[in-house]
Amino acid sequence: MLTIAKRPSLGLIWVIANKELKDSLRNRWVLVVFAIFWVLALSMTFAGSAVSGTLALPSLSSVIASLTTVSVFIIPLAAILLSHDAFVGEEEAGTLCLLLTYPVSKSQILVGKLLAHCTVTFTAITSSYGSSAAILMLFGRGEAWEEILSAFGLLIASSCLLATIFILISYLVSLKSAEKARAVGSLLGLWFALVLIYDLLLLALLVADLGYGSQWLVNLLILLNPTDLYRAINLVSAGAPLGSLGLLAQYEWSLPLLLGACVAWPLLLLFWTRRVFITKLV
Amino acid sequence: MSQIAVSVRQVSHFFDERSALNELSFSLPSGQLMALLGHNGAGKSTLIKMILGLLRPTSGEVNVFGRAVTTSGAMTEIGYLPENISFYDKLTGHEVLSYFAALKGISKQTVNRLLEEFGLAYAQHKSVKDYSKGMKQRLGFAQAILARPRLLLLDEPTVGLDPQASQFIYHKIKQLVTQGSTVIVCTHELQLVESQLDLALILGRGRRLAFGTLDELLHSGNMNLRVEHPRLDSLVVTHPLLKSFYADGGLNCPVSQREVLMKYLILECQLYDVKVSTPDLAQVYHAKMAQMQVLNELGLSLTPGDI
Repeated sequence: MLTIAKRPSLGLIWVIANKELKDSLRNRWVLVVFAIFWVLALSMTFAGSAVSGTLALPSLSSVIASLTTVSVFIIPLAAILLSHDAFVGEEEAGTLCLLLTYPVSKSQILVGKLLAHCTVTFTAITSSYGSSAAILMLFGRGEAWEEILSAFGLLIASSCLLATIFILISYLVSLKSAEKARAVGSLLGLWFALVLIYDLLLLALLVADLGYGSQWLVNLLILLNPTDLYRAINLVSAGAPLGSLGLLAQYEWSLPLLLGACVAWPLLLLFWTRRVFITKLV
Repeated sequence: MSQIAVSVRQVSHFFDERSALNELSFSLPSGQLMALLGHNGAGKSTLIKMILGLLRPTSGEVNVFGRAVTTSGAMTEIGYLPENISFYDKLTGHEVLSYFAALKGISKQTVNRLLEEFGLAYAQHKSVKDYSKGMKQRLGFAQAILARPRLLLLDEPTVGLDPQASQFIYHKIKQLVTQGSTVIVCTHELQLVESQLDLALILGRGRRLAFGTLDELLHSGNMNLRVEHPRLDSLVVTHPLLKSFYADGGLNCPVSQREVLMKYLILECQLYDVKVSTPDLAQVYHAKMAQMQVLNELGLSLTPGDI
């Protein structure tokens, strides 16, 4: 037998994260994701006011509102592209079974993968939205730097949370799927339902009945959909028009409560994903 | 007395209502090579997963080197090569092996040595997706022996490989056994494994059909050996004792009576240069499968233990 150095728990997580990071950086989808975020951020910043017939840089609230509206579609999609095969892909290749015979726990594997996928998405989000903030600070309409930093700080933080939520949702689906193709199909269906259909149903509920019970239900339904939660956080904080989320303003759901719900989502999903992984037979 | 590497006692496992293993028992002494044989769905993979700690038996006990296997797996003294492994396509061979080495806390020098030893050094910076089946299998084998495991489990290590590559793998297996490792090879390539094995375990529908050395299997299975010689036709007339064994120009005799028959041929018939064809592992395997089939067709359930 060789003398084997026992690795500390964090060391093993780092080994897994490092491998996942290498794997992700050679994935063409990562380049696509980075490109999408940069194009999105720069076009919203530079061309955001073109629709109103001017070529000046738009106001801070208008940039935040535009980025939020588009990000709610793009961030979940990017997270799905990156992480849909995190488990089902390894299972198909035979490496998941092999990995579990190594002295590494399922929790360490999960955290290692999450760390890598979050690093990739967070880097894309922070660098692209950060550059938008920098442009507004340097060439904008003279808004205070603190105001810009605070609005973009919230946008970046909530975007990272939204990405984490969808990475974990992808893990869950990946753990439950027998094939990669099924995982992608299920996740795209879920994306469509959460980002588009859910909002339409919410709107229908609003239009149908504006009684107290219905409004309470709408507020609750917003908390139950991470994409609506994300929209609410950024639009409420930017003072932008809320559209179907208008009731939030009426009932003064505070920003800390919305942020708390946004933090609770990944924690609950992490707990759930770990549970599914631990009970999964390979 | 040699230590027991793997001890399986009264192990049963059910997936929902379906039985994958049924009251299986056997003990594998350390330093031996055991061939794990059986039809598809016989329970071989289930057994391997139990030894690895990836599955918990519904009932019974699995011990590896005297310790109960926990479901967390993660035993540094076990090496494993899964069937048809394709690894991480975007990583290079060196990165793949380094990754698994890092998880076990094994040095880079060992990684480089193994890549050299397995003839992969020239391709170590190539993406694994560009590796041939044989190269992937060698990489997988190198991964399995990273920590010089005391117990090595190989699931179809030579499937899809050319004869030269298969020989290479079995040569390495032999080296490991010589160095004291215990090896379990799950395979359908009976001819390849026959010359190497110390023990064989044949499974059928989750039950043990046979377990033992090749000799023991030949004896327990009532297998016949065949003796041929040009003078046998005339000898049968002068030696009526041979009549009961005689068929189609040769003698078919149970393996268990080989010694008696050979003595008789030499001493009584003065035959010294007979051609003896001993049944091989494939014949034993097919005989066991046929027996199982007959029992099933008769509606008789297999009892635990050998048939």
